[in-house]
Amino acid sequence: MRSNWMNRLAMAAFTIALLYPLAGLGAPVGRWRWDGGIPGSTASAVRVSLALTALAIAIVIVAGTPVAWYLARRAGRDRVVWEAAVLISVLTPPLALGLLLSLAYGPATVIGRLLIRLGVPASNSAAAFVATQVYASAGYYIVAARAAIAAVPRELEQTAALLGLAPAAVFRRVTFPLARLGLAAAVSIAWVRALGEFGAVIVTAYYPAGMPVQIWINLQTAGMPAVMPLLIIFLLTALPLPWLIHLLAQARDA
Amino acid sequence: MLDARIIKARAGFTVEAHIRLGAGERLALFGASGAGKSTVLGCIAGIENPDSGEIRMGADTMFPPPLPLHRRPLAYLTQKDLLFPHLSVAENVVFGLANGAAAEATRWVGELRERLGLEAIWPNRAANISGGEARRVALARMLARRPPLVLLDEPFVALDRPLIRDLIAALDEWQRRLGFMLLAVDHRAEILARLCPQVAAIERGRVVQQGDWNAIIAAPATPALAQLLTSA
Repeated sequence: MRSNWMNRLAMAAFTIALLYPLAGLGAPVGRWRWDGGIPGSTASAVRVSLALTALAIAIVIVAGTPVAWYLARRAGRDRVVWEAAVLISVLTPPLALGLLLSLAYGPATVIGRLLIRLGVPASNSAAAFVATQVYASAGYYIVAARAAIAAVPRELEQTAALLGLAPAAVFRRVTFPLARLGLAAAVSIAWVRALGEFGAVIVTAYYPAGMPVQIWINLQTAGMPAVMPLLIIFLLTALPLPWLIHLLAQARDA
Repeated sequence: MLDARIIKARAGFTVEAHIRLGAGERLALFGASGAGKSTVLGCIAGIENPDSGEIRMGADTMFPPPLPLHRRPLAYLTQKDLLFPHLSVAENVVFGLANGAAAEATRWVGELRERLGLEAIWPNRAANISGGEARRVALARMLARRPPLVLLDEPFVALDRPLIRDLIAALDEWQRRLGFMLLAVDHRAEILARLCPQVAAIERGRVVQQGDWNAIIAAPATPALAQLLTSA
């Protein structure tokens, strides 16, 4: 009984320390300002971040889910190679990723020149913004989604197949419903990772500025008072959306 | 007609079995644990692939090349119930039927539900039913599609005797009526003998004797088989 209280006390102390940075929202920084230097820049950053991150995550889900499924279910010895590739993408530091993307898709490469010919600017464009977010978050999504799919007993999928279901139907009716909590967690991680991406995006897509870059611009041009409103919106969009997905998934599971 | 020649290396020995089953026939595969019975069944079901050999059923070639699981004209019941935990008992039973909701209303599904005593748990989540109930649901789900071949891999493990008796009686009745081929595996002779009049005894992956139970009990081909029959 006593040790239980001690455990709770220790947990409470840890939690307070963990969440203490949120106290910064109440710090006296002077009168808050909605924008930094340019009127409308904060609202624009919110729009850019939400719309383009949603697009990036949609791409990550569509492209990443079959990859996660392949890694969890079908890959043989080749699995090591693909998993290493995914891990390289996860472990590349954001700033390095941004620089590498700029170089690899820049005018010095064949693909870069092709993009220019097609009229798709490889930097400072919506396409560059989305592509960078996809690169920054796809690996995280695949790692988490692969674990979620692998946790579904393979025998259940085989049973469904032996009951006459083709592979796509097995995924839809068995794998997906049983993996959905884990897949929701994968989407959440990818969302936070993409929305919060700064180091890579500031190199590839300074414009159109999303929330992280705009926060940095506001900090540089007008200081903390111009950061606070956007910081709160940034937190509200980064945290509750994944929570909502979790809650929806759990409610359906109940 | 099922004609399966299966060669598959296992740790310690190679399974080399030739199983033939005519329309409406039943055959028991009898042998000690680890004799290769489940390997034979798994290869026919498609859960594993033989190293070589040939598996044909009617016009279908199931190996080689391996026929995808969803195209195999068979049902496979193992020791594990493998019910879909996110679905109800009803949804599990009609899972393999086209238009599952309408299929629930059919006379055949109604008969399965009634005969196997599933009415009371019909709307329940499959994750929340007992082991004995789950076994009955798995049997109903397997038979709902009226498969031409039924594979049973020790399906009565860990069940009490009255339930085993009941399930065997139901299987016996439906096999006679529907005429599906039945291939059953177990290491307990008394259970297999009630279900299948013919038996193939397997030792270290090879069929050492085949015939009706009386003949095998009267003159077992090997000392190991004699011992197994005595202890069973």
